[in-house]
Amino acid sequence: MGTLRWYRKNLQRRIALHRANGPLQDFLIAPFPGPYTLLQDVDLVAVDIETTGLNPRTDSILNIGMVTVKNGGIHLDTAWQEIIQITNTIPEATTVLHQITDDQAATVGKPLSEVLPLVLNRLKSAVLLAHHAHIEQSFLSIVCQRFYGAPLVIPTIDTMALMRRYYERINRPIHAHDLRLFNLRKRYNLPRYRAHNALNDAVATAELFLAIIADRGGTGYRLRDFC
Amino acid sequence: MEIELLEIRDFLAHHTPFGLLPSELLDTLPKFITIRYLRRGTGFPTPELQTPENTIIIVRSGVLELQDSQGNLDEKLGEGGIFPDLCSSNDNTAKPQIVRLGKVIEDTLLYLFSCKKFLELRHQIPEFNRYFSHAISEKLKQAIDNLHEACVMAVEVRELLKRPPVTITHTASIQEAAHLMTTHNVSSLMVLENEQLVGLLTDSDLRRRCLARGLSSQFPVQSIMSAAVETITAKTLLSTALMIMTRLHIHHLPVLEATKPIGMLTVSDIVTYQGANSAFLAVNIRKAATLDELVSSAKRLPELQMHLANSGASALHIGQIIAQITDSLTCRLLELAEQKFGAPPIPYVWVAAGSQARHEQTIVSDQDNAIILSDHLNGNHSDSSNSDYNLQSCSESYFIALSQFVNSGLNACGFPYCPGNTLAQNAKWRQPLRVWKQYFHDWIECLEPKALMLATIFFDLRPIYGGMELFNNLQQDVLAHSKRNSIFIAHIVGNALSHRPPLGFFRDFTLIHDGKHDDTLDLKHRGIVPITDLARIYALSTGISAVSTNERLYAAYQNGALSQEMADNLRDALELIASLRIRHQAQQIQKGSMADNYLPPAKLSTLERNHLKDAFKIIQTMQNVLADRYPLGRMVA
Repeated sequence: MGTLRWYRKNLQRRIALHRANGPLQDFLIAPFPGPYTLLQDVDLVAVDIETTGLNPRTDSILNIGMVTVKNGGIHLDTAWQEIIQITNTIPEATTVLHQITDDQAATVGKPLSEVLPLVLNRLKSAVLLAHHAHIEQSFLSIVCQRFYGAPLVIPTIDTMALMRRYYERINRPIHAHDLRLFNLRKRYNLPRYRAHNALNDAVATAELFLAIIADRGGTGYRLRDFC
Repeated sequence: MEIELLEIRDFLAHHTPFGLLPSELLDTLPKFITIRYLRRGTGFPTPELQTPENTIIIVRSGVLELQDSQGNLDEKLGEGGIFPDLCSSNDNTAKPQIVRLGKVIEDTLLYLFSCKKFLELRHQIPEFNRYFSHAISEKLKQAIDNLHEACVMAVEVRELLKRPPVTITHTASIQEAAHLMTTHNVSSLMVLENEQLVGLLTDSDLRRRCLARGLSSQFPVQSIMSAAVETITAKTLLSTALMIMTRLHIHHLPVLEATKPIGMLTVSDIVTYQGANSAFLAVNIRKAATLDELVSSAKRLPELQMHLANSGASALHIGQIIAQITDSLTCRLLELAEQKFGAPPIPYVWVAAGSQARHEQTIVSDQDNAIILSDHLNGNHSDSSNSDYNLQSCSESYFIALSQFVNSGLNACGFPYCPGNTLAQNAKWRQPLRVWKQYFHDWIECLEPKALMLATIFFDLRPIYGGMELFNNLQQDVLAHSKRNSIFIAHIVGNALSHRPPLGFFRDFTLIHDGKHDDTLDLKHRGIVPITDLARIYALSTGISAVSTNERLYAAYQNGALSQEMADNLRDALELIASLRIRHQAQQIQKGSMADNYLPPAKLSTLERNHLKDAFKIIQTMQNVLADRYPLGRMVA
C-alpha cells in the first residue's frame, strides 16, 4: 500500500521531533523500521487501553496493556500493564465494563506521568499494533502533546482496518458487530477470553493478528503490506 | 505483573499436569510462554517451532494429529494436549527422542513453553515429573493390563483416605509414639516438625531400630524415624501410588496437600479397596458358612457401588452387578436354610420381583420376592387322605421357616422389607403354582386399582433358585393371557401415565416441596419408574418374556412395537437418569450419609441439567404416544 504514506509519516516524525521534549524526544529520535522490512524482523507492540470514554480530549486512560509480537510469536515475557491513577471519578458504566473502580484507580494506579515514559520506551523503533488503533493512537497522542509538547507519531497496524479492507475486497456486506474483536476471533477459532482488561485485550489482538497473517499464507510479508 | 495474565495461568491450572503445580508457582509460568498460531492443513511441527532454545508445545485451542514412524495415527491433541517431543530431557531417562510428525486439523493456537523451565519444573516437583515418566510407562501398562484393572486403578488416592493422619512431633519419645500407635491401632505415624512432615515411623522402625538395638524408649522419635520419605497428593492416581510402593518397597505413603499432611495411604488400603471388587465379593459370598459371614460381605455392597460409579461403569452395568450379587446372596441364604431345615418336602422356586428381577437394582432397593410351590401336593383334589394333610402342614411350616430365614437374612444384608410386604414370608406370596395362575388371572380380568399396583411388581419376575420349570409354566400362562386382553393393557397404561416426569410447562423442573426432600427431583418415581412402566407395557402387550427394561425395549424394537429411534431414546434416557442416580448415591455414601433417590438439580452442571430435561422430554413424548394408542388409559388415569 503505502511507501508514500511511510515517507510522510517519517516527515511528521522529524517535525514533531523539533517541538518534543523529554521521553518523547528520545522516542522520536529513533528512526522507524523501513517499509520493506520483513514482518518477522520487526517488533510489533500490541497495545490496548481502557478509557473512561471515547473522547480523547475529555476522557482519561484507566488501564494500558502491551505485549510484543516478534518472529511470528507473542512473547509473554514482554507482557506488561499498568492501572493509571485518575483525578476525576470513573463513570459507573465504564466500571462495569473494565472492572476497575475509583478505589483501585486511586490506590493501585500510578500517575500517567510515571507510566508514559515506560510506554514510549517500549514503543521505540517498534510498530504499534491495535484493534481500532485510532483510539490508542489518539489518546496516547493527546497525552504526549500535553506532557511533552508534540503528538505521538508511530507506524501503526490496525487489525480492524485490515479486516474491513478484507471484507470489502471480497464484497462481503459488513455489519457493525462483524468487526468487533470478539467476533473476529471466533472466525479464526481463537479461544474465548472472559477477563476484559487492557493486557488481555492486547494479547487477544496480537493473537488475531497472527491468525490473519497465517490465513494469508504466513511468511514473506513486509511492513508496507500492512501499514 | 504475571498474575494479570490470569486467563493463561488459569488455563494451565485447569489442565493436568500443570494443575498439579502449587498455585504460587503457576502464577510465574505465563511469562515462559510464547504464543503461536497455525492454520488448518499446515504440516506439524513447522520449521519455526524447531528453535534452538527448545519448547514443549501445549495446544490452547484447535486440534493436531500426530503420526508414528510408520505413518499411523499415534495421537490426537486437542485443548490442553501436550507435545513434548521437541524438548528431550537430559536426565537419567535420556534416550534419542523421536520427534513425531503430523498435521494441523483445525486452526490452532499454541503455547510454546520454555523447555529449560519445563525440565526445571520436572526436577523441582516430583508429582509433575511423575506425570511424564508415568505417561510413557502407562502406554506399556495398557498393553499388558486388562481393561478392568485399569478401570479400578484410575481412581484418585483421595477416595481411599478414610481418616485424618495420626501424627507426632519429632521430639516426642519412642514410648509415646508406640503408645499413640497402639491407641489408634495404626502401623505408622507421620513425624512433624512445625507442622511440616519430616519423617515416618513404622512398626518395622520400632522393631529394627529400637528393640533390636536395645535403644532406650525414652529417645526422641526422630532418632529412629525414616527421614526423606516419598509423598503423594490426594490427586495422585491409585495406579501411580501402587507403582511407587512397589518400586521403593514401601508400604506407607503420606498424602500431602500443599505441605500439610492430610492422610496416609497403606498397602492394606489398596488391598481392601480391590477387595471391594465385585469378583472378590461374589467369592466371599459363595464361601460364607454362616449368616454373619454373609452379612459382613454384604456390608461392602455400598462401597462396591460407589467404586463402580467412580470408576466410570455405566448404570446399566452397575445395576446388573448389584442384582447378581443380590442373587448370589439369596441363593447362599437358601442353601444355608436347606442345610438348617433339611431338604424341601416338595419342589419350589424362589422368585425375585421388581428391580432385582429387572437387573436394575441399587443398594437402596427394597426386597421384593415370592415362592412358587409345586402343585404336586394335593394336585389331585379327589384324594385328600390323612397323609396328604400331614405333608401339607409339614410343608407349610417348612416354607414359613425357610422364607423367614431368607427374608430376615436379606434384611440384615441391607435390603429392607418393602412397605407393600411383597415378601416370600407373607403367606399370600408363598403359594402353589395353580394359585399363582389364579392371582394373575384375577389381576388381568378384574382391574382393581390395588391389583394394578401388584401387577406392576409381579409382572417383573425372575427365578433365582429352585425348580425353574415352575416359573416358566407360570410365565407362559400369564403372557398368553395378558397379550389378548387389551382392556387390561389400557388399565396398566392408565396406571403408568400417573407417573409423569417432573417437567413444567416451560421446560423447568418441578421440584418436590414436601418438607422432607425440598428442592429435589425424585429420580426413581418420576424418571426410572415411568420408563420401566413403558417397557413393561410393551412386554405385556406383545408377549415379550424378557424382564430387564433394556432387553424389553430391545425386544419391542425387534417385534416392531417400537421404532429403533424410540427404543434407543428410551434406553439412553434410562441410562442417563440411572447414572445420575448412581453418582448421587456414590456422593452420599462417600459423605457417610444414607443413599437415596432424591437429587437436587442445583448440584448438576448446566449441561447435565439440559440432558436430564431432554431425558424427561423423551419420557413425556413416549407417554403421549401410548396415551394416544390406548385412549381408555387416559380416562382411567
